[in-house]
Amino acid sequence: MKIRRKFVFDWRVCILFLPPLLFVLFFTIYPMIKMIVMSFFDWKIGYMQTSTFLFLDNYITVLKDPIAKIAIQNTLVYAAVTVPIQIIIGLFAAVLIHGIKRFSVSFRLVYYLPVISSWVVVALLFRYIFSNFGLLNYFIVDILKLTSRPIGWLSSRWSALFAAMLLGIWKGIGWNMVIFLAALQAVPKEQYEAASIDGANKSQRFFHITLPNIRGTMLFVITMLVIGAFNTYTPITVLTNGNPAHQTEVVLTWMYFQTFEALNMGYSAALSVIIAIIIMVITLILFSFRSRNRRLER
Amino acid sequence: MKKTMLLLLVMVASFLTLSACQNGSNNEVTIEFWHNYSASDGQIVVLETLIGEFESANKGIKVEHVFMEWGNLRASVVLGATTTVLPDVLRGDIAFVPQFQSLNVLEKVSDFDDYEATAAKVLAAPNSSNRMGSDYYGIAANTNTKILFYNQDLLTAASVSVPTTLSGLWSAIRTLTSQTTIGYVEPWTGIWNVGPYIWSSGGSVLSPDNTTATGYINSATNVAVIQELRNLYSEGALAGPSMDPGAVGDTDGWASGLYAMQLDGPWRGASNTSAGINYSAVPLPAGSAGSISVLGGENFMLFKPSSDAKKAAAWKFVQFMTDKHAQVEMAKVGQMPVNLEALEDAEAIAAMPLLPVFAQALQTAKARPVIPEWSQVEDIIATKVALAITGVKTVQVALDEAAAEIDALLGD
Amino acid sequence: MMSKIKHSPRRWWIWFGKHTIMNYLLLVLGALVMVLPMLYMIISSFKENAKTFLYPPVLFPQVHEITISNYRYILDNTAFFRYLGNTLFVSLMTVLISIIVASLLAYAFARLAIPGKKIIYGFIISIMLLPGLALIVPQFELAARLKLINNLWGVILFYSAWVTPFSTFLLRGYIEDNIPTELDESILIDGGSIFSVYRYIILPMASPAIAAISILNFLFPFEELGWSQAILKWDQIRTLPVAITMFFQAHNRTDWGYVFAMTTLAMLPVVCFYLLLQKYFISGLSSGAIKG
Repeated sequence: MKIRRKFVFDWRVCILFLPPLLFVLFFTIYPMIKMIVMSFFDWKIGYMQTSTFLFLDNYITVLKDPIAKIAIQNTLVYAAVTVPIQIIIGLFAAVLIHGIKRFSVSFRLVYYLPVISSWVVVALLFRYIFSNFGLLNYFIVDILKLTSRPIGWLSSRWSALFAAMLLGIWKGIGWNMVIFLAALQAVPKEQYEAASIDGANKSQRFFHITLPNIRGTMLFVITMLVIGAFNTYTPITVLTNGNPAHQTEVVLTWMYFQTFEALNMGYSAALSVIIAIIIMVITLILFSFRSRNRRLER
Repeated sequence: MKKTMLLLLVMVASFLTLSACQNGSNNEVTIEFWHNYSASDGQIVVLETLIGEFESANKGIKVEHVFMEWGNLRASVVLGATTTVLPDVLRGDIAFVPQFQSLNVLEKVSDFDDYEATAAKVLAAPNSSNRMGSDYYGIAANTNTKILFYNQDLLTAASVSVPTTLSGLWSAIRTLTSQTTIGYVEPWTGIWNVGPYIWSSGGSVLSPDNTTATGYINSATNVAVIQELRNLYSEGALAGPSMDPGAVGDTDGWASGLYAMQLDGPWRGASNTSAGINYSAVPLPAGSAGSISVLGGENFMLFKPSSDAKKAAAWKFVQFMTDKHAQVEMAKVGQMPVNLEALEDAEAIAAMPLLPVFAQALQTAKARPVIPEWSQVEDIIATKVALAITGVKTVQVALDEAAAEIDALLGD
Repeated sequence: MMSKIKHSPRRWWIWFGKHTIMNYLLLVLGALVMVLPMLYMIISSFKENAKTFLYPPVLFPQVHEITISNYRYILDNTAFFRYLGNTLFVSLMTVLISIIVASLLAYAFARLAIPGKKIIYGFIISIMLLPGLALIVPQFELAARLKLINNLWGVILFYSAWVTPFSTFLLRGYIEDNIPTELDESILIDGGSIFSVYRYIILPMASPAIAAISILNFLFPFEELGWSQAILKWDQIRTLPVAITMFFQAHNRTDWGYVFAMTTLAMLPVVCFYLLLQKYFISGLSSGAIKG
């Protein structure tokens, strides 16, 4: 029940609302505007240097750059694979934990442990697992004797990305589990009871009651995970550092390289803007589903 | 909930009081010194001792040293250039000089009255990496070059003798490679890595005036050299984390006795000694053009935005660090001296058994071109050579592409 | 229910409840996958440095090989507690600031009449969309102009601003869903101001959500590396992620035992904080925001 109020100027509202708003904007809006400006320049970051206006040249360079293309492709593949798998496993774990009475707190902690562990450390562990003389090859070569030569998991584009995606999924399951658990607890119990009386089995109940009830959460999770996928940096840096020959770069690693190794500030700013546009488009599409979902529920 | 919040507040408050009482001000000049001396070789401990000695000899100057890893060192200078969040003095890779100079942050140290006198005390070849045009933007801190390290036990086991020619090296690598041993490791594919093979075979990277790549980087000689590396890689005789991120890192691989040989710098001796590996080293076996390794090392750089007082203090510190005493102390923990007296010091020679080998290699070692675009040029080469070695592109195609891209870059 | 089961002639596992044995089996299996890498880290932290990445891999050391020398080395040779103190300070201040800022914003967005509210809210939310690292160059410039380099407040203020949008988003949903407007109205009708509503209705009633957000925001400084590494250069003000990375890099990337001991120690406060607030975690997150 919302009460619609007419807008009346109220100094109290200003006092309550403006300081926190200005705080957030102060630390975020200047960098954003500055970055957009930089993307139109051959930006010189040096001491007392002047930059030249290029207009769209940086954007053209990025769009023509084969490595930028690889990086964007890799990121999109990373998102397309990790997002659904994290959701499925996370939701599955949440349903299981929701269905038990004992030890649920312990399981919640254990499944959440990867989330609160450091990216650098777990990425190092995964590098050790997947390296040529690592744990995985030890099992394949020495124990199962499937091949005689170790498999170069990290040595080519897709298998290295596979390792990175596995790491991303493993580390993300806990977060999904927690969010879905929260959503499951909000599903009205009467609906399950009614379905049980009608003789619905477990999977019927899941698909006809649980899923529709958490549809909104699903869209929220997808949105957050897509944003997270575009934020992938540490796993790639540690596992492959973009090697071999920039084949495993993702957008952030490539941006970092352009900024700090090649000193192409304008290029990396333009790449940032392009990425922001991609994320915004994806999010707007998801949000349009979201509002349709809301209309359905009303 | 309330209790929790109260607990948090108490913790915050106690921390604030703790950290409040740690500042005191006086008229001292404090200079900030960024470096990447290694902690595990004991270099940071030596550095701290040296700073203590310097401070007591120069009352009124304090040196705050900050360790940063190679990449972080460069990123920090890049980030801080516009707003002058920079150190007063930095000790970093010789390859940083042209790049930092392109950011307009380096102090022209040749303007100091006693620059020539100070520079006369150090080896001329390493110090030339500070020269752009007729000016100097730094002074050599330590030098190094790469020599051929080998695991004596693995060579004996495979009854391979130490190679004396470049082609002998390639065949020794093949003989050494087995189920448990990889003959050779090359961590990257830049000129730092493939340069020595190219130069020793008579090839070159850029034209003598550093303006053109076509006809140089993609010459028939270079194609043959890279082809050799590609063959070794496909036979499993050559490993390298940048070609194959799953490869064991060179330090770990040496320690576990996986890698038999590597062309590497003085730090390899230090890490092998601490890992208990029975190793030795010779200069790079000669190719058709001789044995030409690559010149490495670090320079001290001063920064333009510092105040005059800090510049003067920093310059004093640099003079102290390039003087005999500091150089000998650093030699004991694996830093090759540039100071002429330190190079002949008995203690330094005793601490670095390979010093004569390095000294011999240094006589013919070649510097990478000192041009502002160098790091981009080297990345293009590293990328294309990696594509060639891993077999994604043919060597000729890869090097032709590299030549075209470098020419486009240098032509701007 | 308990008494009924006690007298049940069936096997012991029925004790867990009907049909749930499968749940437990699957959960335990999953839990193994979740903790295995962590377990490896902890085990390795008790092994000698050189014995970490052997081939063939040695998962469990012999009893006589177990050593606490790595821990001793870390505690003796690094300013571990200094780094921990710095990180805790940054974390707690970030939690404090972000909670104040986000709760005020969330209350305003949920309840107050503000012109252009939708647009402002949309803008705040869109801050979340951009990868943080992408803005590092202009952000650093801003921090340098504010004299925040080599200052813990340089990370605290930026972290607080970054985590605020998501916190606002969750809190707003929680307020809209779980706090009846009638409560606000009753205070306002009695002559109270919106500040009283905020203080006496919103803050106490939203505390589960605030606790959940506190966990998320508390974790952030224990994890973030790119920005803290750029800002905190001096040893005495480093936070744990920076200190661990620097330590790892200064030691030529080989002294694994030390690194794992340090990371294991660094995880303890995080786990404690999680356990402290975990009972609010799920309930605090089950708000309208995540339900769409």
